[in-house]
Amino acid sequence: MSIAEANNHGSMGIVPAEPGAAGVAHRNAQAPERTLAGRIPRAGQTIKTPALAGAGRRRRGVNREGLEAGKRSTRTILWILLAASLVLYGFPFLYLLFTSFKTPIDTIAVPPTILPREWTLENYANALGRSGVPASFINSIQTAVISTVLSLVLSVPAAYGITRYKTRSGRIFIMAALVTRMVPPVAIGIPLASMMASVGLADTPIALSIAHTTISLPLSIWLMSSFFEAVPKDLEEAATVDGCSRLGALWRVVIPVVSGGIAVTAIFAFLASWNEFLFALLMTAVRSQTTPVVIANFQTQFGLDWGSMTALAAVYSIPVILLTLFLQRKIVAGMTLGAVKG
Amino acid sequence: MTPAALFLAVFVAYPLFRLISDSFFKISPLVGGPREFVGLDNYVRAFTSPDFVSAGWRTLAYTLVVVTLEFALGLGMALLFTTLGRKSQVLRTLFLYPLMIAPIVAGLLWKFLMIDNFGLLGTLLHQAGILQDPNQIGWLSNPDIVLFSVAVPDIWLTTSFMCLVLFAGLQNIPGDLIEAARLDGARAPSLLFRIILPLLRPVIAVALVVRGIDAARAFDTILIQTNGGPQSASETMSLLIYRTMIRFGDPGLASAMGTIYLLAMLAIAFVAVTTIWRPGKDT
Repeated sequence: MSIAEANNHGSMGIVPAEPGAAGVAHRNAQAPERTLAGRIPRAGQTIKTPALAGAGRRRRGVNREGLEAGKRSTRTILWILLAASLVLYGFPFLYLLFTSFKTPIDTIAVPPTILPREWTLENYANALGRSGVPASFINSIQTAVISTVLSLVLSVPAAYGITRYKTRSGRIFIMAALVTRMVPPVAIGIPLASMMASVGLADTPIALSIAHTTISLPLSIWLMSSFFEAVPKDLEEAATVDGCSRLGALWRVVIPVVSGGIAVTAIFAFLASWNEFLFALLMTAVRSQTTPVVIANFQTQFGLDWGSMTALAAVYSIPVILLTLFLQRKIVAGMTLGAVKG
Repeated sequence: MTPAALFLAVFVAYPLFRLISDSFFKISPLVGGPREFVGLDNYVRAFTSPDFVSAGWRTLAYTLVVVTLEFALGLGMALLFTTLGRKSQVLRTLFLYPLMIAPIVAGLLWKFLMIDNFGLLGTLLHQAGILQDPNQIGWLSNPDIVLFSVAVPDIWLTTSFMCLVLFAGLQNIPGDLIEAARLDGARAPSLLFRIILPLLRPVIAVALVVRGIDAARAFDTILIQTNGGPQSASETMSLLIYRTMIRFGDPGLASAMGTIYLLAMLAIAFVAVTTIWRPGKDT
């Protein structure tokens, strides 16, 4: 689903969206008089995020026939090539999964085998039974959730302000937010940790989630600005004319339209925190350790317990992989948004 | 906007300020230990330290390797998906999965493939008859190649991102343009280099800059695979700063290194953006 479509979904409640709206938009763009309904999809179009996946409603052939391979034989070869590269690409993770089902001794057998000689859940039992592991999962979830909420609460109003009142300070601010992306975490991790300690937040999920928000906030602002930009100003003005206050218009009209965008931003913020390691390493000791740190610690603390490590890594990764597969369209939209807008 | 600005000011700008001010002090690693103002001494020490200089070169080499390979592979996959059209959509989804894996996990699973003795890669190459001995190539133990080996998980993780962004860019190229070029007798290579790549330029620029910044900060994957070893052969800037700070307990020196590193990154990113991206120019 492209952003255009995501926005269309949001707008359905307010204006009757036309069937095949995105396709129609081409014509509407030239029409001198545009209806409000005609503008919504056009606004989606201005993002220029192509219908990446499931371009169902877009008519075929507008953009793509040019690059699609014609000949059947060429296509067959390309399919084989694609399948081969996907197998190669997917293999490392499959191997991790297979290994996690081996017996602890077989995990470090020489020479290694791809499939387990004997399927067992022993590694999982070992890994999850270890003290601190279940707690680390709770910490990871807590940290990621707090960081996501914080990121949204801060980025949505900021992005709205930047796109609606296009002031100079807004532009400077968005550039500054992008520059913070370049700050190496290792450079600010220690000062940040000592700051947290001085306000009594050392080794808490709150401190860590604040640190994670410094990573996800610039990205969130960037993403949300793109989403807000896609909402036509007229829509909001129409609502104000109809008797909504500025805030009411924002709450009842604009926010529902960008709800898809908010979801995308939330996913990114969550993933950024869930997978983060360096801040977690620097800022947590025992109480608030997140799972990535625990996985890394397996290496030193308990000798080389490969089996448990693979099992824990699998348990940690699978939920987010599944999440991605379910929500992939939104994620794709979010990832390409900033770049393609160029 | 104000709350967000305030947040960034407190939690990014202030620590940065601390970092820069710390870099002028000699600081005892003990909490509440003495601080002594030493001026630019830490900077002098950083630039004269062979560790620092070689970590800088390694970071550069690592970033170039990661971004180049990732770009080549990502472009290849993006073209493949584009030429196959909509029917490859399901596979495209599958191709995304590494993006969701924690770098620490990616580092771990590649370590598992490349480690000596029970690593699968050497064994498979041996069974395929390419290597005489499964341990012939010490992926992670040979200082000459380890920097490339530790780059593999990073490449593996984010080729999907490259592919995704480039694929999106490719969809925006008007089909008529390609058709017209074909009718004029353009063959695949000139189509690629004369039409597709120039049109993709802004997209490519963003993708390269974003990924370049990330690769230059790489930490997780390297830490778990080699911890910078053997003989510091895979110690990039992030790892060196981390080690200086934590292991050697020299926050002053580490802050100076961090400051130099940050400035270098800003400078490179600025040059990259202005030369490749050229915003405002209608490409």
